[in-house]
Amino acid sequence: MDDGKDIADYVIDFGTAKGASYVEARFVDSWDESYTTRNGMFLGILENTKKGIGIRVIADGGMGFGSTEQLNKATIEKVITAIIKMAKASKRKEPIVFSEEKVEEVSWKTEVKQQFQDVSREDKKLYLKNMDNRLKKESNKKLKNRIAHIQLHTEKKYIVTSEGAKNSSFNSLIVTMLMNTARAKVGTEQKMFSIGGTAGWEWFEDINFTEEAVKSGIALVKTAENAINMKFDKPIDVVVSGEVAGIMCHENVGHPSEADRIYGREGAQAGESFYGDLLKKEKLGEATLGTEIVTVIEDPTVPASAGFYLYDDECVKARPRYLIKNGKLNELLLNREFAAKFNTKSNAAARAVTYNREPISRMANTFFEPGDFSKEELIAGVKEGILMNSFTEWNIDDRRFQSKYVGQEVYLIQNGELTDIMIRRPILELTTVGIFGNVDGISNDYYAPLGLCGKSDPMQGVPVSMGGPHARLRNIRVGGSN
Amino acid sequence: MDINEDLLKKTVEIAKREGAKELIAKLVKRQEHQIRFSNSAIDISKQWNLDVLELFLSIGHKINVISIQNPTIEKLNQEIPKAVQNLKKLPRSLLYWGMDKNNYSYSPIEGLYDSRIQDFSDKAPELVNAAIDASLEAGAKKTAGVLYFGDLKTGVMTGYGNGGIYDSSYFRITVRAFVDAESSGQDMVVGRDLTRVESKFIDAGKNAGKLAKMAVGGQQGKAGKYDVILSPTVGGNILNHILDGANILYIIGRMSCLRGIKMGQKIGPANLTISDNATISEGLNSRPFDFEGTISQETPLIKNGNLAGYIQNTSSAKIWRLLKMLKFKFRTGIRTTGNSYLGGVLDEDIGPKLLAPIPSNYVYQPGDYSLDEIIADSKKPTIYITSNWYTRFTNYVEGSFSTIPRDGMFLIEDGEIKKPVRKLRLTETLLGMLSRISAIGKEVKQINWWEVSTPTFIPTIKVADCNITAATQ
Repeated sequence: MDDGKDIADYVIDFGTAKGASYVEARFVDSWDESYTTRNGMFLGILENTKKGIGIRVIADGGMGFGSTEQLNKATIEKVITAIIKMAKASKRKEPIVFSEEKVEEVSWKTEVKQQFQDVSREDKKLYLKNMDNRLKKESNKKLKNRIAHIQLHTEKKYIVTSEGAKNSSFNSLIVTMLMNTARAKVGTEQKMFSIGGTAGWEWFEDINFTEEAVKSGIALVKTAENAINMKFDKPIDVVVSGEVAGIMCHENVGHPSEADRIYGREGAQAGESFYGDLLKKEKLGEATLGTEIVTVIEDPTVPASAGFYLYDDECVKARPRYLIKNGKLNELLLNREFAAKFNTKSNAAARAVTYNREPISRMANTFFEPGDFSKEELIAGVKEGILMNSFTEWNIDDRRFQSKYVGQEVYLIQNGELTDIMIRRPILELTTVGIFGNVDGISNDYYAPLGLCGKSDPMQGVPVSMGGPHARLRNIRVGGSN
Repeated sequence: MDINEDLLKKTVEIAKREGAKELIAKLVKRQEHQIRFSNSAIDISKQWNLDVLELFLSIGHKINVISIQNPTIEKLNQEIPKAVQNLKKLPRSLLYWGMDKNNYSYSPIEGLYDSRIQDFSDKAPELVNAAIDASLEAGAKKTAGVLYFGDLKTGVMTGYGNGGIYDSSYFRITVRAFVDAESSGQDMVVGRDLTRVESKFIDAGKNAGKLAKMAVGGQQGKAGKYDVILSPTVGGNILNHILDGANILYIIGRMSCLRGIKMGQKIGPANLTISDNATISEGLNSRPFDFEGTISQETPLIKNGNLAGYIQNTSSAKIWRLLKMLKFKFRTGIRTTGNSYLGGVLDEDIGPKLLAPIPSNYVYQPGDYSLDEIIADSKKPTIYITSNWYTRFTNYVEGSFSTIPRDGMFLIEDGEIKKPVRKLRLTETLLGMLSRISAIGKEVKQINWWEVSTPTFIPTIKVADCNITAATQ
C-alpha cells in the first residue's frame, strides 16, 4: 500500500504543477478469489491480485481520466500530461465544477472477524461442495442444473485530492450467485439467487448461507411442480416480498434519482430520468410519487451490507439518503459534479468499481423504510390477491417509468388467507407511479438480496443490496400467466 | 508499442520447466481512449494503458490462470513457479479437455490495423464535436454519445508452438440525439478503416438527429399483435441471444434456446444464413488466430434457415464428442472452430477464467429488400423499432424474454410510416421470432455498442406477428 500512497501523492503534485485545477488519484490494491461449480463439480477456481491507479483531472473546465498499473513516476507523468491535454481539448462552453465539500483525512474499514485468506482453499471448496450436496438432497434431486459461484474480494484503497482530502479504506466483500434450473410440468423454471455482504468468511455462518440457498432451491422446485396458469379479469391486491419490493425501489426510484441521469450524462447508455421532467414542474419535496406511507431510503452506511461504505470515491462522508419521504420526491443521488449543478452538497453517491473506472453517481443499499404491519397482517387485509415472494424476468425503460416484474414463487391469497395455490409467472407491467401510488401497507421485516448494478460505459457493475420489508399494493392489474 | 517476443518465449520456457504440461502465454499492449459526451458537449476524455501477460497453465484436467501486469523476466520468475505449484493443488476442471496441438501457417488479415490511429487522439475531440454539430443541424436539441478507439498489439505463444504477433486498431462511435426528453434517435459507426472517418461521424450524427426529429409527438402505442421491423441495432441485440446459445457451455448450463434442437433442424426461413467469422478485416473481433493459436475461420451457425453448427474450441469439441458418445449417437467431424478465448465463467470479468468458446463477429447474410421496400410492403399494422435495451429472460431454454424499445419507434400502416409511438415492450420467444422472419434487408451494417457486445454485421429484419405489450397502470 505504501508504494501506492507515495505515487498517488506524487500524482497530485505533478498534476497541479501541470496546470490542472483539480487532481484526484485513487490507488487500489485488490485481491479476488472465486469458486464456481456445476452440479457440485468444479469449473474453476481463480485467485487474482490487481494494483493500479486511476487519475482524474479538471483542466480548462474539461475533465480527463487515465489509469495505469505502472506505478512509476515516468509513466504517471505521461498519463497526466495526456489526460490534461485531452481535458483541455474538450473545449467545453460550460466548465465542469465540483461542489465544495469538507476536506477530511480519514480511514475506514469493513469489520472482519475472519479474513478470507485465513481460511484454507480446501475448507472453502468443502463448504461449497457441502452446500451443493444439501441443495441436491433437499430438492430431491429435482434441480437438474445447479451453478454455484462464490466470489471473495478485498480491496485496499487510497484516495487523495488536490484539495487536501485523503481517504484510506479496506473493504471485504462476498458475492454469491446460484443459477438453478428445475424441471417443470412443462419445460423448466430457472432462478438466479444472489446474496452477499461486506464481512469476512464468518459471513457464511452468520447469515446461514447454506440454509438460504437451500430455501431458494426448494422454492424453485415447488414452483416448477405446482404453479398453475391463472387469469385475473379485474384488479387484485399484490403483496410483494423484500426481494420484489427491493428491485422496485432500486429500478423505479434509485436509478431515476441518479443526478447524472437527470442531467443527461448517461443519455447514450443507461438513459435519462423521468425526474428531469418532473423537476421542471415541481421542486424536491413537492412532487408526489407514492402514497404517504412510502419512504424509500438509500443508505451506504448499513453495516455488513453489500453496498457498504463510509466515504465515497470523492472523499465525501456517506449518510442515509431519503429518496422518497412520505410519498414525496425528497432527495437525489449526487456526486460532486452534479451537486454543483443542483447548487447543493454531494451526498456521497460517487462510486467507481475499480481503479480504471471513473467515479459516478451510484446506489448502495436501497429499500422501503419498514412500516408497522407484520407480513401476516398485510396478507390478512387482502380479499383477493397474490403474494409474490420472488421474481424472474424484469426490465424498465431508460427513463425509469415503465417497468415489468414477472413473479416466480407466487401464492394466491383468498379472503385474508394465504393458500397453497401457486400461480405461474404473473406479470406486473406497471409505471413507477402505478407501483408506489398504490402501496397501502409496509411490513416491519427486512430482507435484502445482492445485485451487481450495471451502469456506465465501460460498464461498472457495483455491488448493491436491494430489499427491505414486504409491501402491499392495492388494485393492481396482473397480467400473464395464461 | 512493441511486443517482446523474448518475454513470451521465456514465459513458455519457465512454465514448462516448472511442470506445466500445456500452456498459453498471451501478451497484450494496448492504449485505448474514450470520449463521452452529453448535452452536446464532451463530458470526459479517458485513456487506458495496459501491458499485461495472461498465462494459462494446465496439467491434465487441472487449470490455472494468472495475469501479470507490466511483465518483466523478474516477475515471471517470481509468479510462474507459484502458479504451477498452485495448479497442482487445484481440482480438475469439468470443462478442460486439452488444447490445440496442430500447427498452422497463418495468413495475415489485411486491414486489421490502420496506422492513422497513432495520432487519432489529437483529432478525436474535433470529430466528436463535428458529429454533435451534425445531429443538431439535423434537428436535435441536444446530443449524447461515446467514442472509443484503440491501438493494440497482441502476442500469443502456446506450449505447442502456435501463435504469433499482430497489430490491430479500432474505433466505434454511438450518437444519440434528443429533440426533447422522449424524442430521440441513435446511430453508430464501427470499424477499423479511418479513411473518410470525419464524414462517417457526421453521417452518424445526422442520422441520429433526423430520427430524433421523426420521433417528435409520439404517443403511447397500443398493445397487441404486430409485425415488427427490427433495425440492425435491435436485431443484433435480440437475435444474437440465439447465436450465443450455439455454444456448448450455454447448452450444458441450460442457458440456450438451442438446447434440444438437432443439427440441420429448420429454425428460420430459407433465406436466413448466419455465421461466426473472425476473418473479416473490419470486424472488431477479427484476428488471425484464437487464444489457442488455432487459425481463424468462418463457421456457419444457421444455413438456409437450418441450425448448421456451434462455435467450438478444442475442449468444447471434445466434450461434445463425449456427450454424443454417451448418448450412442457418435458424430465425427466436430472440431475446434478457432473460437477459443480466456474469459470468466459467468461473464468476461466474473468468476474463474476458463478456456472456452466465445463468438468473434456474427455475420448475417443480406436479403433482397431495402428498408423503404420493407416499409412499403408492410400493409398490416407494423412497428418499426430502431433501438432497444434491457432484454431480460424468464427462461433461457424457452428463450422467453422481453425488451424495451427506445429512441424513434414508428407505427406503419398501409405501407407508410403513420406516426411515432412510445412506451411499448416487445414480449416474445427467441425461436418463435426466428421462425417468423418475413423479410431480410439488403444493407448490412456492423453493430457494436452498449447493448450488442459481439460485433455483428446485420441488416434490417422483419418479423411477423409479434407480441407488443404496455404498462397496465
